[in-house]
Amino acid sequence: MFANLKGLRYWLLAWAVLSILSGIVIARTELTRQQEAFDTNARIVHRLLSQQVVQHDAILATLALLHSGSATDRPEQRLPALYTQIAAAAHRGPGEVWPTPSLIAAEAESTRLKRAVLADVDLHKGTYQLVLAAQPDSYALTIAMRSMVPWTEWPMAADTSPVQVRLQLAQDSYLVQAGRAFAPGDAGWTFEARKVLAAESQPFEVVSLLHLGWSALPWRWMIFSAGALALVLVRGRMLVQQRVQQRREEERQRVGQLARLNTLGELAAGMAHEINQPLTAILANTQAASRLLNDSEPDMTAARTAMQMAVQQARRASDVVGRLRRTVERPGSAAAVQSVNLHNACRHALYLLEPELQRSQCTHSLTMDGLAFEVLADPVALEQIIHNLLTNALQAIEQVPAPNRALHLVLTSTATHGTLRVQDTGPGIPPDALAKVFEPFYSTREGGLGLGLSLCETLAVGMGARLSAANGTTQGAEFTLQIPLAHTVAA
Amino acid sequence: MTTLPSSLSPLIHLIDDDEAVRSSLALLISTVGLRVQPWADPQSFLQTFERESIGAIVLDVRMPGISGLTVLDTLVAQKVDQPVIMLTGHGTIDMCRRAFKAGATEFLEKPVDDERLLEALQAAVRQHVQSRERNQADRVTRQRYAQLSEREREVLGLIVAGLTNKEIGRALHVSPRTIETHRANLFAKLEIDSLAQLVRQYAALVDEDTAA
Repeated sequence: MFANLKGLRYWLLAWAVLSILSGIVIARTELTRQQEAFDTNARIVHRLLSQQVVQHDAILATLALLHSGSATDRPEQRLPALYTQIAAAAHRGPGEVWPTPSLIAAEAESTRLKRAVLADVDLHKGTYQLVLAAQPDSYALTIAMRSMVPWTEWPMAADTSPVQVRLQLAQDSYLVQAGRAFAPGDAGWTFEARKVLAAESQPFEVVSLLHLGWSALPWRWMIFSAGALALVLVRGRMLVQQRVQQRREEERQRVGQLARLNTLGELAAGMAHEINQPLTAILANTQAASRLLNDSEPDMTAARTAMQMAVQQARRASDVVGRLRRTVERPGSAAAVQSVNLHNACRHALYLLEPELQRSQCTHSLTMDGLAFEVLADPVALEQIIHNLLTNALQAIEQVPAPNRALHLVLTSTATHGTLRVQDTGPGIPPDALAKVFEPFYSTREGGLGLGLSLCETLAVGMGARLSAANGTTQGAEFTLQIPLAHTVAA
Repeated sequence: MTTLPSSLSPLIHLIDDDEAVRSSLALLISTVGLRVQPWADPQSFLQTFERESIGAIVLDVRMPGISGLTVLDTLVAQKVDQPVIMLTGHGTIDMCRRAFKAGATEFLEKPVDDERLLEALQAAVRQHVQSRERNQADRVTRQRYAQLSEREREVLGLIVAGLTNKEIGRALHVSPRTIETHRANLFAKLEIDSLAQLVRQYAALVDEDTAA
């Protein structure tokens, strides 16, 4: 329980770390995307505004070139109707003077620089004048900055966009787009783009600002990824636990097998002791009696007592054997027979031994002569018999080279019996061993207990079947299991 | 039990928890004139058996409570000099090796044939008698050696080393005649008749003494 909790803690820690890492990656990706979008917008804004102000230069230059002498038909008077951002247009004819000193100064400046010059810039109101000195007339345009912005081509929604756009000249600036308000110390990320407009005459700096607070992070995706990670880790933990469970199960089985083997050894040792004691007494008594009787004056009483004791001990040994048999005998050993499909039973046994078959590179076949049939058998005993026969065959086969290894299961049936023949291509059974293969404790295998085939025969007889051994017609051994059919076929 | 009354005949201690085995083996052993003392319980055997008697011990390996091998270890630790014959129903090679390593003189499997057991017992008894006699002789030799004076021991050491009376006299700065006197005394005290006997019986003891 404690170990389990501790394990869980590590999994939780892993989840937290992974969630934070994935959150950081997602947030960074989103911030990068936002910044790229912001940069693009800032570039578009700069281009659009630059186009506008360049147009003002062009209009002034065109007016100067027209040399319109007529005092009544002034072409600049029609400009406000054509361009919404031009609030007013004025000209100074030969001999006239600009009404304000700023315009006079601007014209002088324009003459010197040979280009249009700003005058009366009022960024609070959002207006400025652009003056171009020319001959015979000089011109001045009054620009309303609000109308200068080409809203139809604007890349952002002017009312809702969080980006702030300003046109700045020296310390003052005109707010083109309000954006979302923020204080300089606010937590989060601030993007800024600054670039002076592409018209020398109107050197306004376009300042774009975007502030993203914590709330701008893609929390939904981050939470989603943490959730997904949790699911993946839960699944991973389940898999790991399954694997541990499986390994534990395998280990348990191995230990169980070992325990069974030890139990068998203990049983044999106990049996040996229980039988050896009376045997020892019998041998000692009879030999003592024989010695006594050989004396020149035999002590008949002592000899008789010794013989009686020998008889008692022989009975004791026989009792031990009887008790042992009763202990080992399975209760209700009359097998519980039922209809069993022999073909399926063989297939299942082959399936269980698949790893061993592959390991010994043994080809195998299961053939059936005629229709499927069912036999009367104890399913567990039948499975054990087939399994033992196959295991035996596999062990025999290991004695020949791999290319010659084959195992054939052949099913046939008569009117009353179903027959399974297990044929192998091993070395076969030596003729002198053939008669003894079903005897308990007889084994041709080094270290073999000699109980497998003996058990098979006992089980077969127990359910009314017959097991016999022979050497096949070609090579190898052939074991034949004959079982009564479940439904005898009418002859 | 059909034990012979003679207290001189060797005594076999037979330890086996099985009554039938115990009595039958006791009967068998008694047929060759050996006295048998059967024990059902190894603990009471260890506590009360007569350690001085001549004889041997027959010990079953498999007994409830205490293993025969443990009893064997205890006997060896207590410096019991009777030879031990182990009996077992199912002796493994490992168990056999352990028994011999621990000091068993014989390891027999049950059921045991009378000739093997009786021969083993007789051999064991013979071996025990001999070792007791050797110990006895050894003890007498030591007692006599202890009676010698310091000077006599010096002379004895030089005699054993192969020196003549003259040479010994020179080595000890005394006259050869004095050495002759010592020599006569020495022979009398050690109850020795010949030089050869002296060397055979006391050379080892002299070596032991000078080494110490």
